[in-house]
Amino acid sequence: MRTYETIYIVHPELVGDGYQAIVEKFKGILGDLKANILKVDEWGTRKLAYPVKKQQRGTYVLMAYEAAADAIAELERRMRIDENVIKFQTVLLENGYQESASEAGVVESSEEESEEETEENE
Amino acid sequence: MSYPNKPSRPAAPRRRFTRRKGCRFCGDKTLKIDYKEIRTLRYFISERGKIVPRRISGNCANHQRKITEAIKRARNIALLPFTSGHSAD
Repeated sequence: MRTYETIYIVHPELVGDGYQAIVEKFKGILGDLKANILKVDEWGTRKLAYPVKKQQRGTYVLMAYEAAADAIAELERRMRIDENVIKFQTVLLENGYQESASEAGVVESSEEESEEETEENE
Repeated sequence: MSYPNKPSRPAAPRRRFTRRKGCRFCGDKTLKIDYKEIRTLRYFISERGKIVPRRISGNCANHQRKITEAIKRARNIALLPFTSGHSAD
């Protein structure tokens, strides 16, 4: 088991239940792959640095988890299939998971997501 | 051909980035380089989105390498631009 971090961008026009369903879906996929989820952080909708799939904005979700190496391939395969995930990136956390003090995404997140930021702070 | 207002010494070299002595990450061990913290990384990219070279940023080789990797990761996930040109309307 190694610690990984996957960040993915959900289509910005997907809000509410549809968006929550996506987040829950990938949490469920990680659970099926016997991954140990450390943190799921929803950054909210923010502007992209460049257009992706013709979208100027996107909803960022960050997942940190411990999983086997072959679980990553399956997770990414499922993300490629899902059309609502417009971009994703998985990074190996070499030093394990560390609670970072300030998430960059929180500051520039848009107005409709403001109440979601507080629930992750312990 | 003489300009009366011209100062005697040649013009100072252009300083587009504030030059700081030494590596700021070596000086402050608590600073972490993370591709998600774009506020830190913004300091190390030019207006066109290029990575600022080590001779200007003042980073040590080790930290410049980490900065470079972090910027490239941030670009990949659309947190930072590859270039200023693709901000279409």
